Amino acid sequence: MSIQERADIAEYAVAFADKLGFDYCDAFVEGVTGRSYAVEQGKLNGSSYYEKAGIRIRLVKGRRLLTFSTNKFEKAAIASIISGYRGFNGVDTVFSGEKAQRAKYKVGERKRLADADVLADLLSLDKTLAKRKYIKFRSVYAGVGKSDTFFVNSDGSRIESSLPSAQAFASIIVGGGKETRQRSMQFGGIGGYELLDPEKLEEKVLDEAKALLNVIENGMRLSQHELRDVRNVVIAPEISGIAVHESIGHPSEADRVFLREAAQAGTSYLTKDNLGLEIGSPVVTIMDDPTIPNSNGFYLYDDDGVKAGPRTLVRDGVQDELLMNRAYAHFLGKKSNASSRSDYYSNEPLVRMANTYLKPGNATLDELISEACDGVYIKSFMEWNIDDTRSFSRYQGSEAYVIKNHRLGKPVKNYQLETKTIDFWHAVRLVSNEFELFLGNCGKGEPMQGVPVAMGGASALLSFGR
Amino acid sequence: MDYAKSIVDRAMRSGCDEAVAQAFYYRTSYLKIANSKVDSIVTKDEAGGSLFVSRGKRVFSTNIDGLTDATIAAVVRNAKTSVAKLTPKDDYYGIADGPFKYGAPESIDKELSGYDNALLSDIAYAAINSALSTGADNVAGTLIISRSRGTTATSKRVHGLEDSVYARLSLRAFVKGFSAQNVTAAKRLKDLKPEALGKSTTELAGMAASHGQIKSGTYDVIYLQQPAGLLFSMVNEMACVGSVETGGFLAGKLGKDIANKKLTIYDDGASNRIISAGRFDAEGYPTRKTPLVSDGKLLTYLHNNSTATKYKTKSTGNAGLVLPEPNALVLEHKNSSGSLDRLVSCVDKGILVTNTWYTRFSNYLSGDFSTVPRDVAIYIEKGEPKFAIKQVDVGSATGIRISENIFRMLKNTVRSANDTIQTGSWDSDGYFVTPSVLVTGVRVTTA
Repeated sequence: MSIQERADIAEYAVAFADKLGFDYCDAFVEGVTGRSYAVEQGKLNGSSYYEKAGIRIRLVKGRRLLTFSTNKFEKAAIASIISGYRGFNGVDTVFSGEKAQRAKYKVGERKRLADADVLADLLSLDKTLAKRKYIKFRSVYAGVGKSDTFFVNSDGSRIESSLPSAQAFASIIVGGGKETRQRSMQFGGIGGYELLDPEKLEEKVLDEAKALLNVIENGMRLSQHELRDVRNVVIAPEISGIAVHESIGHPSEADRVFLREAAQAGTSYLTKDNLGLEIGSPVVTIMDDPTIPNSNGFYLYDDDGVKAGPRTLVRDGVQDELLMNRAYAHFLGKKSNASSRSDYYSNEPLVRMANTYLKPGNATLDELISEACDGVYIKSFMEWNIDDTRSFSRYQGSEAYVIKNHRLGKPVKNYQLETKTIDFWHAVRLVSNEFELFLGNCGKGEPMQGVPVAMGGASALLSFGR
Repeated sequence: MDYAKSIVDRAMRSGCDEAVAQAFYYRTSYLKIANSKVDSIVTKDEAGGSLFVSRGKRVFSTNIDGLTDATIAAVVRNAKTSVAKLTPKDDYYGIADGPFKYGAPESIDKELSGYDNALLSDIAYAAINSALSTGADNVAGTLIISRSRGTTATSKRVHGLEDSVYARLSLRAFVKGFSAQNVTAAKRLKDLKPEALGKSTTELAGMAASHGQIKSGTYDVIYLQQPAGLLFSMVNEMACVGSVETGGFLAGKLGKDIANKKLTIYDDGASNRIISAGRFDAEGYPTRKTPLVSDGKLLTYLHNNSTATKYKTKSTGNAGLVLPEPNALVLEHKNSSGSLDRLVSCVDKGILVTNTWYTRFSNYLSGDFSTVPRDVAIYIEKGEPKFAIKQVDVGSATGIRISENIFRMLKNTVRSANDTIQTGSWDSDGYFVTPSVLVTGVRVTTA
């Protein structure tokens, strides 16, 4: 069935619901295709192909929201679902008034995914890694695919999109003597196979492997006393990224702030009573922007049919925008900032991040390190976690170095940055002019929905206990 | 029509050496509870399937979207061309050779299988009202009811039918700045007991009369059933031979002492009481209850037919479509103190942890990880609960973190209570049958 035929059924669903007097209806059609390969320790352990399509219909009547999804594109079945709507005693849901959108957009492929020999490239990467005896375990995975969508709602919006994606993961365990260290990496984004340049991937994974080996062979362990004395910490964009995602992006999601997500992905330190909180120092500005070309969290219109743009989550240290869908925008008396996303047609759209980053400043990385004088530089992490309210986080340095007399020194093996969110962001003294994004899959909701996101931005110097 | 068999027949006619097909239909509803009300209901209705084929040691898998003749024909054509382009998997040894005998299927509860929005709403409000009347300030949660039918067929004379319905209710209650979360699940409506869940979850959240702070250091930790299930089920996950071969913490540990001698860990895919159990795995091999850890030793890894053949052993009934997958954790401990209160009385300086989340490994091979207590945690001193831990004055946060090593945890699991239940967690798809357990010498850091 073509996207046009599916779109016709979506149009039919909205028109039918309109005729039955629903306050609001939208229909979202998605067709996805893709293939993936997993090569582990030299073996092709998995090869799969998928091709799926379905429709999601959301209905609001008497302020009650019901969502249905099916992969059966049959008008009679859809009419039966809509006619069979039965409300319930519960929460009021009203969508904010938004401009009806008519749009059609697609992302191009500079290197066509259909032509890519993904498996050959993975096997080649595996072979290269296998030659390095210090890489004890290796797993590489890549998947390429495409999502075609059509959205129509009873407000008059009609939006069509076509988004190709290319993703790769690599996980390595590097060993020397009795010690091992592990690293996981993710590459790609929304676009063609140019996002998974095999040579660049190989170079990146080998660099990471060498860096881990250097930590094992030349790294030092700081004593408890030395760890307590670390006051200045320079965090690289990978650490800034996980920190903005976990301790700023998530708590800025309106459905956490107002407890819709309380039994699933959790709550927030932000509440209706402390919006506008001074969360960090004046040099901290944190953005979330779905419109960055080829980024992992790219989209131009959200699943509520609202046009997307950059969102300022923290401006000059002060909490600014919450991430909102149309329901929370109405609740707050605002316009939506297009944060409604689902991972797939069959799941409900939730309030989500896209590409979250620490906005760059003017300093160079060298200036951050020099300004730190003595401390620790954390370049990458492996283990991290954060509490339910997003108040207390830990980032375990995977690759980290001592800063001594304004210069980088030996690698450090056991540095963990474990702080309260409010202390972390208030400690930021200087922000670099770098900008780098890292990929992630962000989980939320029940059933769990993993949506592609990116996170990163600049490096920063944090000075604690000043 | 027997779609699974038809798909296998087509795949074999196309020249494959082996084929496994699954065909299914399901209807699942998710009711969301927020701010002590029903927030929304999402219902999914889907028909589809999957196909796994091998040819000359090349293996390939794909989904089947909708069970139409045209879709199935296209999927088989694609499988035939795709598998030919792959490189052989030299350590692939084939699917299980049937036929197999399965036990009689369970009867389906008519009340659950005929569910509608009114029933969903009634169950949710039974739990919400019970929690509110017990003292909850706010209640959140999810109620899932799922009805599914599926058939599995293989080219090795396997044919099986699974017909199931279950309900799963997850509830989080907030009481005066503290929270607790519990999960209950049942295959029969009469066994779900939403009122009891509302009451017990609220009582847990409000169990401490006061709050206080602790210092970073080493504590004995009692994990209630849910966090015990989350943490110890990592053993089941890492016992899957795919994880072993790619650097999981059980690599090279077969037959070695890895745990306290009184701790027994099973992987159970067969017991009727377990919600996720079925009569056969993804290649139709009969599921079973497999002892993984006994008398301190790791007894086996978890296999499908191919990996079992490779390692010269028998399948444990853990086949996924491609690689082995874990079933439910069943944990037993020979040193049971009796009630939870008795277990608490054994602790001189410790913490009662009611829930964890964000368990993350710094190194899967060494087994080093950390995890965060998500809901109320109680400080215990000289055998008595003293206060709820509150290191940060934000919402229901406790502000503590546990840093562990999996082997240290397994070795230091010295006792349990006699409060075994089946539970689950938002943080996991699986189910766990476990009592509360006591782990000594746990490193805890504080905000």
